[in-house]
Amino acid sequence: MTQVKIDVHYVTRIEGHGNLILDAKDGKIEKLLWEVPESPRFFEAMLVGRHYDDVHHIASRICGICSISHTTASIQATEAAFGIKPSEQTILLRKLLFDAEMLESHVLHTLFLIAPDFLGVDSVIPLAATHPDVVVMALRMKKLAYNLAEALAQRKTHPLSCVVGGFTKVPDLNELKALKKRLVECLKDLDVETSIFKTLKIPDFIRQTEYIALKDPKEYAWISGQIASSDAPAVPIDKYLGVTNEFCVPTSTAKYTKNKRDSYMVGALARFNLNSKQLSPRAKAVAKELGISAPCFNPYMISVAQLVETYHVVEDSINLIDQLVERGVKEEPDKVKPKAGRGVGAVEAPRGILFHDYTYDANGIITKANCIIPTNQNHNNIQKDLEALVPKILDKPQAEIQKMMEMLVRAYDPCVSCSTHALTVTFK
Amino acid sequence: MKPKVAFFDFTSCEGCQLDVLNLTAEELLDLLAAVDIVNFREAISNRSDDYDIAFIEGSISREAEIPRLQKIRAQAKVLVALGACACIGGVNCLKNHLPMEQALKMVYGDAAKNYDTIPARPINAVVPVDFYVRGCPIQTGELVKVVKALLLGKKPDIPNYPVCTECKMAGNICVFELGKTCIGPVTRAGCNAICVTGGRQCWGCRGLVDEPNKNSEEEILKKHGLTPEQVVEKFKIYNTYVEAKK
Amino acid sequence: MKGNSVLIVDDEAIVRESLRDWLANAGYDVATAETAEEALETITKRDFSVMVLDVRLPGQTGLSILKEVKAQRPWIRSIIITAYPSEETTREATRLGAIDYMVKPLAPDDLERLVRETIESVGKEPTVITPPKAPRKAVAKAIEIKKSVVVSKQNFKSLVNNLIKTMDVYGVKARQGKYVYDNISNANELVLNYDVTVLPPTAYLFPPRETILKFKLGDTAKPEPVTNKTPRAIIGVHPYDIKAIEMLDEAFITANPDPNYIARRQNSLIIGVDNLNPSPKSFAPSMGTHIADNGFDLMLTDIGTKYMVTIGSKKGGDLLKKYVTVAEPTADDIAKQKAVLDEAQTKYQLHLDVPRERLPKLLEDSYDDVYWQSRSETCLSCGSCVMVCPTCFCFDVQDDVALNLKEGQRIRQWDGCMLVDFAKVATGENFRHDKASRFRHRIYRKGKYVLERYGRMGCVGCGRCANACLAEIASPLEAFNAIAESWQAKQAAQRILREARPESELYAPRPAQLVRVEQLAAKEKVFEMKFLDGKELGHQPGQFVSVSIMGIGESPFGVATSPTRKGSFEFAVRNVGSVTNAIHNLQKGAVVGIRGPFGNGFNVKALEGKDILFIAGGIGLFPVRSLIQYVMDNRKQFGRAIVLFGARTPAERLFVEELATWKNDPALEFYETVDRGTPDWTGNVGVITTLIPKVQLDPRKTMAIVVGPPIMYRFVIVELKKKDLPDENIIMSLERRMKCGVGKCGHCQINGVYVCQEGPVFSLAQLRNLREAV
Repeated sequence: MTQVKIDVHYVTRIEGHGNLILDAKDGKIEKLLWEVPESPRFFEAMLVGRHYDDVHHIASRICGICSISHTTASIQATEAAFGIKPSEQTILLRKLLFDAEMLESHVLHTLFLIAPDFLGVDSVIPLAATHPDVVVMALRMKKLAYNLAEALAQRKTHPLSCVVGGFTKVPDLNELKALKKRLVECLKDLDVETSIFKTLKIPDFIRQTEYIALKDPKEYAWISGQIASSDAPAVPIDKYLGVTNEFCVPTSTAKYTKNKRDSYMVGALARFNLNSKQLSPRAKAVAKELGISAPCFNPYMISVAQLVETYHVVEDSINLIDQLVERGVKEEPDKVKPKAGRGVGAVEAPRGILFHDYTYDANGIITKANCIIPTNQNHNNIQKDLEALVPKILDKPQAEIQKMMEMLVRAYDPCVSCSTHALTVTFK
Repeated sequence: MKPKVAFFDFTSCEGCQLDVLNLTAEELLDLLAAVDIVNFREAISNRSDDYDIAFIEGSISREAEIPRLQKIRAQAKVLVALGACACIGGVNCLKNHLPMEQALKMVYGDAAKNYDTIPARPINAVVPVDFYVRGCPIQTGELVKVVKALLLGKKPDIPNYPVCTECKMAGNICVFELGKTCIGPVTRAGCNAICVTGGRQCWGCRGLVDEPNKNSEEEILKKHGLTPEQVVEKFKIYNTYVEAKK
Repeated sequence: MKGNSVLIVDDEAIVRESLRDWLANAGYDVATAETAEEALETITKRDFSVMVLDVRLPGQTGLSILKEVKAQRPWIRSIIITAYPSEETTREATRLGAIDYMVKPLAPDDLERLVRETIESVGKEPTVITPPKAPRKAVAKAIEIKKSVVVSKQNFKSLVNNLIKTMDVYGVKARQGKYVYDNISNANELVLNYDVTVLPPTAYLFPPRETILKFKLGDTAKPEPVTNKTPRAIIGVHPYDIKAIEMLDEAFITANPDPNYIARRQNSLIIGVDNLNPSPKSFAPSMGTHIADNGFDLMLTDIGTKYMVTIGSKKGGDLLKKYVTVAEPTADDIAKQKAVLDEAQTKYQLHLDVPRERLPKLLEDSYDDVYWQSRSETCLSCGSCVMVCPTCFCFDVQDDVALNLKEGQRIRQWDGCMLVDFAKVATGENFRHDKASRFRHRIYRKGKYVLERYGRMGCVGCGRCANACLAEIASPLEAFNAIAESWQAKQAAQRILREARPESELYAPRPAQLVRVEQLAAKEKVFEMKFLDGKELGHQPGQFVSVSIMGIGESPFGVATSPTRKGSFEFAVRNVGSVTNAIHNLQKGAVVGIRGPFGNGFNVKALEGKDILFIAGGIGLFPVRSLIQYVMDNRKQFGRAIVLFGARTPAERLFVEELATWKNDPALEFYETVDRGTPDWTGNVGVITTLIPKVQLDPRKTMAIVVGPPIMYRFVIVELKKKDLPDENIIMSLERRMKCGVGKCGHCQINGVYVCQEGPVFSLAQLRNLREAV
């Protein structure tokens, strides 16, 4: 007679609140739930009635962790609605800014939130005592990412200078050149991280699912391209509703999404599975070294895919800085003219594909807004993963079951704070 | 005895907590030498209910958050509000302009009835607050300043003058001279006018100064072409709660 | 000749008047002239000990009259003043006999001292010509002409590019349509024809934030001063900012020398440039800061393709020597420099309404003025005005301890008296807690406190605060002028009082004797008067006099005779009240009091050449008679003369004999009527308006003079309009209650008009605007 009762009232080391509930008796699961009780924040409602120039400012506040993603998606949605084509300089700067966020987020996730699980410590704080070099290195990379974002948009959390139509301030090229040196150095830090990751014992768990990410024939897609799926042909981003298919299920706490299967996955692993051929050379080599190849169906490998992507964004940043230095940067005049219409912006946030969808009136005031965040798209997949995982490990000690479950959730790097469409349901 | 520090988050984007970690290695090690961080859900797994200083991020927007905050207040010797959401309500309060049912319906449709939501408010609407680290997001430097002041037992020097002062020190060209508008003249400084420096304008995320000359600011905004409605909108983004209370 | 008489010759009113006031206050007998010509004229008429002469004057120059003055009155000592000193003018002035030379802006007390010494040195014998003395030492400093050279613009750029290799170079750049000081990495980035920068260059000497001490926490705390000695050059500094730096020098260097400021100051090269495009908000000339002769290492004037460069220091001279080739300025270069500077000075749009020397006193007297309260109402207390000010230097000091809690630094950063908590003490009390007191304090610093403490103006007139202030209240100029205005209003009031020559006889009548009385009708008599002193009344037709019977009262009466009838004058009176009754009881030989003549009268000049249509109803004939007589006596100056007269009954006709003469006079067209006839009346019957259609008129040439009972006017006007007479051609004399006759008592007022002053004669056009009139 065994009884497992797990009630993790909020999983730590994730952004936002998420609870895990497992009730099992005699090897039979009675209740298994990934629950998201984050406060609903009503961003779509808040955006209605706002002037376009304030929209991305507010939209950025959906999530402090991936505010650059939200800002970029928001700006691109507005630009799509107004029919604005950003300049080449703007696109280069946006990509570079995006790389900064990806670098910071992936370093934070892989070294501060994930690594402690594998290094047998509770968190980054004891890690500072046991593995100070790792912490120092992680902070160094994080600082670099912050400084890169600061050079481009004054700050990383809620960036300032990137606006509809372009940038209100252009970076100092000397500053970028100095950052490039640090980015080159950063590759060495990543090699150290890789050597740590090589020693980690990643749980062997396979569940095949549908993988969805942006795909751009020209490059590893971050802020451009179409919605690609492992199961279906790509569709333009403004057809996103046909992919996300949000729905509510009575036993669930969050709005679920599904496309071709029961659930789908977005994020680093989905991108890796769909776009790995477009990774930078170092990233490709490291993927090989770490034994990850597309398609990979192990969700615990998301962090490995993140590490691979970190190489890619660092190399991409170096490349972008070279391009900017070569072509020079100049102040570009603000030529935004509002226009009535609808526009969709889609970017690959660190945790996966993100959609902002706005309808404007002729004065540039929002009349309707919709945002679909990556974590919400993953909730269903997390639930399905748990349902596949738990029966296989139910014979293990409760603590171990709990840790495996938490690690699975953490692997997804859920960013619940966005919580644009989360539900809070009380269970009896 | 090192003071025990705990971080808690309520309704927020968690950007402020994230920026707490925007330290150099040296700073983080110095910080860990000076304090014990016993609660930081975003970064650490262990939890403790024994702490001296509580940093609160986020505003209160659900019934369930009220007793949780009150419990923290009862435990903490010092309670510090972290960021605009906690200090003044911040962007969360934008939803207060809509009837709650309408807001819920707009976002969640038929599932709206399942939500526990109340008008968003800053934490000092629920419990007394000892110190404020303002801004959306906070400036890590200011947080460090407050931590140091607490450790040294002195009052942190937080400006009570408007953003204009720092904006001028930064050598910025006034946004009004560039044909835009801004509520920096009544907003509390301490941010080094980072938004104007970045080519934007002040939205008032640090809240207003103690004695804002709002009448004059409103006249100036109108003189620069804003309609009375647009003037009200200007103050809404971060200061909805404070403005509504008046 | 008075031994202390001074003639001030200057075309600038501010200078002229301030010097006049200053010297007059010091007890000198002062006269002024605006131009050289006027000065000569004055000197021809009267004598002076000293002449203070501006070189630059409209028309003839100051120097040009020196010779003439010397010929006329060789003892007059001339002191030359100029804003543009040059060796040539100095030499020339001395040759022509000027004994001293002062450079504008002048400190009035310096001038006074010089005037005093000059007069004392002359002694009591004004006719002895003393040879020109050598310029005094104090003045010598001002006239020391610095070496000027010419450098091509290209050469100057190469100098800058060379400097960039050896030190930090800051200069003026364009940014978003404005100008800012910033790091310069190439001379091409410099913009030197700017108007004003957002922040002043003083920020490089006294930065927004700087560490002044480093320390370790704990018992062994031994702070270590921190200064910044990095060599740097600041390029493009305008004269007003140079003056501001000089002011800061006083504040930071003179007492308790400030190590941080001095370190930066001593290691900074200042390369100035004359401001040829003043900002619309600048009022530098009013503060005497549009030109700088000191305080720079090099000073540039843009004279086209090259710079005129004034060397202000050895450092500056060495710099030129090291990096560029220079040329001696040609006469053309010098002329061009003068021309561009002169032109620049004409571009300033704002001026101080009082001499700046008067500001401290002015402010002292205005501490409780309502201005501070009312004008500061919209103040945001945002600190913008003090942050952008080149002469503001208040700061706050804070300790910043490192996170290790072991070491720290003491930092000073800009602070300002306009910020709410600036004067707040730890106990919570705020010594300048309201906007008005902060606002006033700042203006007092700018115009008084700083000047008194450091001897230099606290405001250099750059206009930055006015640009920065969103509430548009920050410009010290505005405050100074507002205070000056209320001060001047007070002064003007005092001056009027002080200088008023009371007309002691304003209300006292002159005695006149009744020489003839004649009964005109049942209630009407005419009185002929002669002044006891034999003088004429000196009136115009249509004016009136006030006739006094002491003990009874005084009443106004129109003068009934023309001034052309000399020796006496007449007025006619209908007996209707107590004064008129008393007058009617007068016997020949009685003496009454007369005041006047009052009022405007008929404008006879404007009537000349016109056809005159007189329309008199009843006793309206009295004042009309004076004009009829005038026209008859000057008949050739007028066109047709048509008289229409109406009485109620034949018995009420007035001046019957005169009417008969008019009727028979071919020079007059005379028509009369009575409202109600009698059996023996053979003439017209009907109201006076019935006569008008009978007269042929040329409406463009005819002036109608209408006087009668109020009821008559409306109907007469209707008839005249039928004849197309324009409103301007219809002239009326109004009757109103008049008491004082001198525009004070207010009884006769029609709306804002005093009938006794602006009236009683009005054209219909004038009356159309006076709604109380008809």
